[in-house]
Amino acid sequence: MKNDYMTSDSLPLEGIRVVDLSRVFAMPYVGAHLADMGAEVIKVDTHHAAFVDTTRTLTGPYPDNVPGEDYWNRAGTFQTLNRGKESVTLDLRSERGMELLLDLIGISDIVLENFTPRVTRRFGLDYPHLKSVRPDLVLVSNTGYGHTGPWSDFGAMASALEPTHAAGAFMGYLERDENGRLVSSETPNKIGNSYTDFLACWSAQVAILAALYRRALSGQGVWIDLAMYQTGVSYFGAGLLDFAFNGRRSRRIGNRHEFMSPHGCYPCQGEDSWVVIAARDDEDWRSFCSAIGKPALVADPRFRDQLNRHRHQDSLDELITEWTIDRTQESVVAILNDAGIPAAPVLEAGQLLGDPHLRQRGLFEEVEHPEESGLGKREYLGRGWRLSESNPRIQGPAPDLGRDNEKVLVNLVGIQEEELETLKDNEVIGNRLLPTAAPNVVPLARQKELGWIADFRQDY
Amino acid sequence: MLSGIRVLELGGHTSAPFCGKLLAQYGAEVVKIEPPGTGDPARSQGPFAGDDPNPEKSLPFLYLNTGKRSITLDIKTATGRSLLRELLKDTDILVENHSPADSEALGLDYGTLARISPGIIAASITPFGLTGPYRDYPATDIGVFAYSGHLYHSGDSDREPLRNALDQSWYIAGANAATAILAALFRRLNSGRGQQVEVSAVECLATHLVQAVPYFNYMGAIKGRRPVRGSGFEELMPARDGYVVPSVQGSQPWSVVSDLIGLEELKDEKFATGSGRIEHGEELRELLVKGLAEWDRMPLFEASGERRLVFGMAQDAGDVFDCPHLEAREFFEQLDHPVAGAALYPGMGPKLSSAFDSENAPAPLLGQHNREILGGRLGVTDVELVSLRASGII
Repeated sequence: MKNDYMTSDSLPLEGIRVVDLSRVFAMPYVGAHLADMGAEVIKVDTHHAAFVDTTRTLTGPYPDNVPGEDYWNRAGTFQTLNRGKESVTLDLRSERGMELLLDLIGISDIVLENFTPRVTRRFGLDYPHLKSVRPDLVLVSNTGYGHTGPWSDFGAMASALEPTHAAGAFMGYLERDENGRLVSSETPNKIGNSYTDFLACWSAQVAILAALYRRALSGQGVWIDLAMYQTGVSYFGAGLLDFAFNGRRSRRIGNRHEFMSPHGCYPCQGEDSWVVIAARDDEDWRSFCSAIGKPALVADPRFRDQLNRHRHQDSLDELITEWTIDRTQESVVAILNDAGIPAAPVLEAGQLLGDPHLRQRGLFEEVEHPEESGLGKREYLGRGWRLSESNPRIQGPAPDLGRDNEKVLVNLVGIQEEELETLKDNEVIGNRLLPTAAPNVVPLARQKELGWIADFRQDY
Repeated sequence: MLSGIRVLELGGHTSAPFCGKLLAQYGAEVVKIEPPGTGDPARSQGPFAGDDPNPEKSLPFLYLNTGKRSITLDIKTATGRSLLRELLKDTDILVENHSPADSEALGLDYGTLARISPGIIAASITPFGLTGPYRDYPATDIGVFAYSGHLYHSGDSDREPLRNALDQSWYIAGANAATAILAALFRRLNSGRGQQVEVSAVECLATHLVQAVPYFNYMGAIKGRRPVRGSGFEELMPARDGYVVPSVQGSQPWSVVSDLIGLEELKDEKFATGSGRIEHGEELRELLVKGLAEWDRMPLFEASGERRLVFGMAQDAGDVFDCPHLEAREFFEQLDHPVAGAALYPGMGPKLSSAFDSENAPAPLLGQHNREILGGRLGVTDVELVSLRASGII
């Protein structure tokens, strides 16, 4: 079933051309969302393996864990992050490759790049230069630390950035003190799942769209110096002010909450199956006691109000665990949601893909891949928002390497058709990765042993 | 960038206010409508400046509402609603985060809003969206994380999934709402029409699973939480004065990594390849702990950057305020709040090349701009304002 919001109007970014030079997660995903919104997004690829976007080659996953002959076109994460784009290959080390890139930028509205500042300058992709090529350009330079400041030349990756921008100061398991009570610890933890990449991704989209709006009215372009470290910090400001005003450096409270109680993550029947429960107030607590069939608990002085429940959370959590541990995740959530208490299953990706609510709303959008890819029809994550008139939609699969070389270089940039052959011969462009070396995939059973995956199913 | 754009924010807590804060950062004129008396529920949420539970000193509120103005209005009363209607007439963007049932009851459904203000862009942020079987379920931050599939990946694989304490789901929803709103605003330049924007926090977070979802629907694998075994690279590991994230990512060979850490045993060729590091993971982890014990976080982090490695370090709130890099980038800004006092606030994430048309201001006092907005924009007289106050409408 499709969602109610079918596109009945032009997409918001129709007529906007984007040159996407970016790699890995954060910026490619920005490009994908801009393509969903109707922009023409041209991914500047390369067929030289040493410089190719690593999500084409290293990140996987491949269908049934088999890379296949043209593995660089078949990885699921790459497909998610690059759907709806066009691909032109250009070797930026060659003079002609760089000339063609600048010609393309000259007829484009937005450039996305995430080289380190050193490489950006070496390629001449810095704002002063690109502004001379296209005066009203919107340029996003995405880096770990930004184009100014003492750390500006440092490379970065999201999983190392996350603790650096202090996310781990507000996240950590409780530990037992000498009296056996659970207390805050000094050990940070991670939200994980490449969290900082997405903070950068959402922040970039806000900045780009604000810039496009202003540009439409004023004709002026803008440079967006998007440092992931700094952007990460801006999402944790409410905690940082606790230092600015009160000198407090961290808040590691497990799954507990400043005032809600109970508030936690509890084990259910089965392996690695969990449910979260939060009682917002005394009314939720009374409903909770009836729902679990222990109305007498309401009268227990240890739990009579938020303050007392907060003080006795260790015993409260034990008592709740006793109730959840012999029940299935599904039954715990059903009982509590029926009683109006915020409770939720901790879904893994397989459950997420099958969730009736998300399916009915159309979070996953189906893409039909070219027959020769062997990918068939697959579902990809859409986005968390809908527009009533010009709702975005995934426009198509991620492109095969160099799929649009002719279209982009001849039709758009305007080179002579004959030059395509010369470019191929000089290895400025190409459709096959060089050198070709299928990635070493680790069998799923071994991945489970190594702790890289939690589990796997043959019958997915 | 958005100067001249008028935003009404009819929402409390975190998601709609974070969206409003972002729009204000880009120069929109954001007016926050708060219920008289208590105001935005975030005002009663701690921690508080000086640990004084004063509604003007809530730190989440002070952070989330910089650059805005505040009016009070009881939109459950007929008079309150008619004033809201007047305000809506010259409003470009409305952002709210009531439950679907409440927003319908308050007349904030898109149909009603579009009749009052035909070009309006009206955004609703809810946990589950405005349609679907879970539409009316209550949810808190931890529940949104759980339902989205994200919480399953947070924490250690041998323990329960773990939440970040700072309500991150509502920030993600607020940022996505700002994106959707600006897409609609840009579209309006051509179409001349407004539209409805619907944001589901659960779905916003779910879209982070760009690895976990294809892992499942490409090969049936379930990605889990951070492994507690293995080499320790790319994970939080103890150093002398805290935790660091050693990394082998990037284009540098193993010798650069082992030279940096400096432990002789690490230079063994058996660790030089990815498969070698997997095979000898446990041994490598022990050596890594031994090597890192000689390092403090900052010198290791800076030395790694200089060698083109991508190590991270666990910083706390104080470290971030002391950070020489953020200082050089003039990230923090001093804001002086009339009740809470002066402090340095984290500024904008992205840094923009062009001069800004908006000047930042501290979060507003409850109803601070009643006279300016209701009087200035709607022409309500001072005498009428007194009467509105006396009857509890403002």
